[in-house]
Amino acid sequence: MALINILKISTVYSRVSLTFRFNVYIPKDLNDALRALKVEGEGLLPIAGGTDLLVLYRQGLVKFNKLLDLWPLRNSLSYVRFEGGYVKIGALTTVSELLDSRIYMDKRFLGFKDACSGFASPFIRSIATVGGNVGAAHPLSDIAILLLAYDANVKLASLDGERLVPLREFFIDKRKTLRKPDELIVELSFKEPPTNSSTSLIKLDRRVGHSMGYVIVSTYLELIDDIVKDVRIVFDSMGKPYPERAYKTEEYLRGKTLSEDVVKEASESILPNEMRRITDYRSSAEYRVELSKVLLKRALFKTKERILGGA
Amino acid sequence: MLEVRRSDVEYPDVEIVMKINGELKKVKVKPYERLIDVLRNKLGLTSVKEGCGRGECGACVVIMDNRPVPSCLVLAVRANGKSILTLEGLAPEGKIHAIQKALIDVHALQCGFCFPGVIMMSKHLLDNNPDPSEEEIREALDGNLCRCGSYLRFVKAVKLASKYLREGKTYFDESEVLR
Amino acid sequence: MYMSSVPEYIKIVEEVFDKFKGREFLYIGKDVRRWDAVEKIKGKSLYTADFLKFYKNAVFVHSVRTKYAHALIKSIDVSEASKYPGVLKVITAKDIPGINDVGYVIPDQPLIADRKVRYIGDIVALIVAEDQMIAREAESLIHVEYEPLEVITDPLQVVDLMTLKEKPHTLIHDERGSDVLVHYKVRRGDMEKALREADVKVEGVYKTPFQEHAYLEPEAAIAIPEAEGGVTVISSTQCPFDVRKAVAKVLGVPLNRVRIVVPAVGGGFGGKEDVANEVAAKAALAAVLTGRPAVSIHTREESIIGHSKRHPMIAWYRHAAKKDGTLLAVEANIVMDTGSYASLGPFVPWRATVHATGPYKVGAARIDTKAVYTNNVYAGAFRGFGNPQVIFAVERQMDLLAEELGMDPVELRLKNILRVGDETVHGQKLTEEHGVGLEEALLKAVEASNWSSKRMEYRKAVGPLRKGIGVAIFYHGNSIGVEGADYSSVTLIINRDGSISFRTGLTEFGQGSTWGLVLIAAEILGVPPSYFKVENPDTSATPDAGPTVASRATVMGGAATVIAAHKLRKRLNEVASHILGCDPEDIVIKAPEVYCGSDPNRRTVWQDVVEQSFWLGIPLQEFGYYRAPRAVWDEETGQGAPYITYTFGAIVAEVTVDMETGLTKVDRIYTAYDIGRVINKVGAELNAEGGAIQALGYGLMEELIHDKDGRVMNPNLSTYYVPTIKDAPEIIPIWVEAHYRKGPLGAKGFGEPSFNAVATAIANAVSHAIGLPVYELPLTPERIYMMLKKAGKI
Repeated sequence: MALINILKISTVYSRVSLTFRFNVYIPKDLNDALRALKVEGEGLLPIAGGTDLLVLYRQGLVKFNKLLDLWPLRNSLSYVRFEGGYVKIGALTTVSELLDSRIYMDKRFLGFKDACSGFASPFIRSIATVGGNVGAAHPLSDIAILLLAYDANVKLASLDGERLVPLREFFIDKRKTLRKPDELIVELSFKEPPTNSSTSLIKLDRRVGHSMGYVIVSTYLELIDDIVKDVRIVFDSMGKPYPERAYKTEEYLRGKTLSEDVVKEASESILPNEMRRITDYRSSAEYRVELSKVLLKRALFKTKERILGGA
Repeated sequence: MLEVRRSDVEYPDVEIVMKINGELKKVKVKPYERLIDVLRNKLGLTSVKEGCGRGECGACVVIMDNRPVPSCLVLAVRANGKSILTLEGLAPEGKIHAIQKALIDVHALQCGFCFPGVIMMSKHLLDNNPDPSEEEIREALDGNLCRCGSYLRFVKAVKLASKYLREGKTYFDESEVLR
Repeated sequence: MYMSSVPEYIKIVEEVFDKFKGREFLYIGKDVRRWDAVEKIKGKSLYTADFLKFYKNAVFVHSVRTKYAHALIKSIDVSEASKYPGVLKVITAKDIPGINDVGYVIPDQPLIADRKVRYIGDIVALIVAEDQMIAREAESLIHVEYEPLEVITDPLQVVDLMTLKEKPHTLIHDERGSDVLVHYKVRRGDMEKALREADVKVEGVYKTPFQEHAYLEPEAAIAIPEAEGGVTVISSTQCPFDVRKAVAKVLGVPLNRVRIVVPAVGGGFGGKEDVANEVAAKAALAAVLTGRPAVSIHTREESIIGHSKRHPMIAWYRHAAKKDGTLLAVEANIVMDTGSYASLGPFVPWRATVHATGPYKVGAARIDTKAVYTNNVYAGAFRGFGNPQVIFAVERQMDLLAEELGMDPVELRLKNILRVGDETVHGQKLTEEHGVGLEEALLKAVEASNWSSKRMEYRKAVGPLRKGIGVAIFYHGNSIGVEGADYSSVTLIINRDGSISFRTGLTEFGQGSTWGLVLIAAEILGVPPSYFKVENPDTSATPDAGPTVASRATVMGGAATVIAAHKLRKRLNEVASHILGCDPEDIVIKAPEVYCGSDPNRRTVWQDVVEQSFWLGIPLQEFGYYRAPRAVWDEETGQGAPYITYTFGAIVAEVTVDMETGLTKVDRIYTAYDIGRVINKVGAELNAEGGAIQALGYGLMEELIHDKDGRVMNPNLSTYYVPTIKDAPEIIPIWVEAHYRKGPLGAKGFGEPSFNAVATAIANAVSHAIGLPVYELPLTPERIYMMLKKAGKI
């Protein structure tokens, strides 16, 4: 396949506050891409699926005049692998490919079915990528929320080498992450969970299909004889403008029997104490908290059922 | 005093090659051009409709390398070396595809603006799932907005098309449909 | 017996109605394929923006919109933007050669704001550039100095709901001296007496939201400069002749210098009325000022902030009744938010007022409706045109009343609905000729849905998922009533080869009404629909048929078609009689066969009759014109005969509500409509389904939201939710045919009625499911949840 290289990306000097035209650098391989990032710095913005970036650009909310097209790297960065006790997902794996991998056929990974099949719309899934979803650092990022439930790590690469950052530390603000301008997200990975575990993801909005979600929750549970050996609970937001874990609620649940009463206490008493919600045009903070409580209950029991029934 | 320096060198024409509806096409595009604009304005494939420009409506869906994609969110340079199917290429001249026949049979047509995307998504579904359930059809067409509200007919049509295809009837004579 | 003053065309419509009574039809009411089905299904139909591929040197028109929803414009400097490479011209108000106004009904809306801006979509300049991106880049070089004013987004800042008096506020239309656009009234009977005699009274305040049309094809126009300062505009519009008027006015040229052509249109629903004028005028201006083809296409975001919406309503209602359920009185104060400009704001509240008591016998009524300006996006026409809003209030009130009286909602309605011989609240006596099928519709919907047992059974449910069943009924005046000159026209041309050209200025935007007209012509002429070619509306070729709005295409255009076809058929019969030697009345045409009914062996073919007509000098072109019987309306009392006839309907909806989250799912909708004769069966079914799904959106999820600064918070399709295929419930259509004698073969209108009462039936079902009254649309999960929480039900 012929690759196009638009080298010598020159700078446009202009007093216009927004440029709607831009140049695209098409790299030969990962190294080439990393080299371009090193040379161009912040002026070169990587674009994965583009489903988020191109919409922001269209609205004039993000300014750039040079893009680094990551699509040519898909031959090396699109995969779902089990390796050395880890599940590894290439950053440029699309949501459709994640579904096609049928990873969810194993009950430990059923949350992938929830997250992927409820993700935007089928044609968006064809181009939206796992790395893009994580890199966008937006609260309403279904895949990132699920990966947090698996306590995944983000692998970043630059010309200087690679580093792993826990996803739970990766977001620092809305649309801000620990990724440095010369780095690329290349892989998401997490420790292969034990057999008596599963996940689920639930979102609810005023429309069933093709929705953002007033609230999104994902839960990971490891049960031994109905007792919570391990649990992770992730919400689209706990107070900060990006997905986060409900640590205190997790703490409360750990070691307890997953009974109606315990789940009720966790979702109705513990969770609201550690969660801060915002009011915006879509929904009030009050409703978001109420909904978070209900959806947490449902997600926990759904996950439990999955562990027991494998459905 | 304006400080605007701009020239074609800054945004060079890039020649890309695509296999569109089975035919190799070479076309010069700008790096910032969207696939939808190249298809519509440079190649005249105006079945590809722009309803939102944001990947929210499904009217611009084309099939690129066997995947349905919103052509409004695909940079044209990214289509280089790819194979693309639009509604124009679904059936040979004088024929219509089973999906098209089925949509006509169940009288699904209203304003027709969402149809190209709906047909492309249905094609993708039936290519991968020859006998989809009603739920699977609704799942596949979830992103294709139809404001005239032909949704129930889409479900019926995809079922009917699946039957046609399983019976080996992929194409129908246009004249047969016109009667 | 006709009085001499009855025009010939009305006589023809009645004559044809009587002639076809009880006859079996070949095409009318049958499954017939649309003429444009294959073209559209192959993606070959061209919509406005598609023509761009033929105009390689077209320039783009970009609208620079205001930063503030309400402000005075102190100065505007476009000099820098004009010099930006690729920009051809920047147009401001002072560059407009004609009159700077695109107001639809009243001249209150500048095409380009000059003195002040009144909503967030107002345009302050047009950038004409080589491409869209250059134009958008140049936008940041336009410098406008604004003096921001108080922004009014709540209509109750303008008037008080209970007194309807205008409050002191910063005037939006200071040039008018008041922000109350219109005040309509209905006064009937002795209100004091009725209230004194009443056993029960119920009251409530009802609210409905702004609704966005969200037609899939955004607004578009391509203008090509023509000789003598004229222009041809390809336009996505419902009303080409209105667009022509607007463009001519802005350019300052006579109407005959402007030609509007309407290709395939990707949905309208009332929204492609006034904004089409604006978009065409923008393209036309650019074309004339640059001498090049010019294109103006709205992005989805522009479409949502820049075109009319369904009027939000806030209404206080009080109903009074006797113990036995007899409705004694209805009082209402209705406030409608017309947004920044009048658009169709003078008419929508009128229709709301006329229908404000629902399809009931009402002894006493006092209705006051005021439409007021705010700094919100302007409101205009949308399928239903004011009626869905008042239906929500009235039909919620009827359910409240039933609850109060301990009656079944259906029983209460049956006690009070309009039947033949009854008078409407305006004193219009409904006769057999009008066709009044409301009772039949209601009974059929109730029967089909198994109403009674479900109504009892669903209430008993426990657990988080609750089912509910609700009913809502309505009537809908056909065509435009006293809003304007109510006429329509078509031209039928039988060509030398026997093919037929069908021309009308009525437009097809998905609703399928033109197809109904073809079926009428086919039936009367005796030729299959495949002989016809429907020509695109073109102000230089097709006759002015009035606007394609108000469910009037089938009734009005259909009547015009009946007239043209009837006259042609008469002439064809005479020619065939000349050829075959039998009586003209004896001629049977079943093209291609033409023969004598009394002796089928005496026969010829269609082509021959056409050819002979040519040689005999008998013209085979006919123009059909129909004007509706005049509507009557007294401004002070709201008494008279506001509409020629009414479409009736009864909707039963079934829902499931998740009591823990408030999320509602619609399971099933039974739609029973009396639309008179069903002309285009397929089209009617499609409207019944499509209208229901659109109304489901109105009932459960759709609302355009402004912040306090008048900015639209959800100007795209991922934040403004419309139903997807996953929301589409089972829909069971039921038809009742109470024929309207003055309509084409007994037909009444259906475009809007298919929307009217569905959201309210859903709301009544939700109310049944949760056991609480609801007062506001849409019934989002949050709204339902909060009601349940407040009532201690969670």
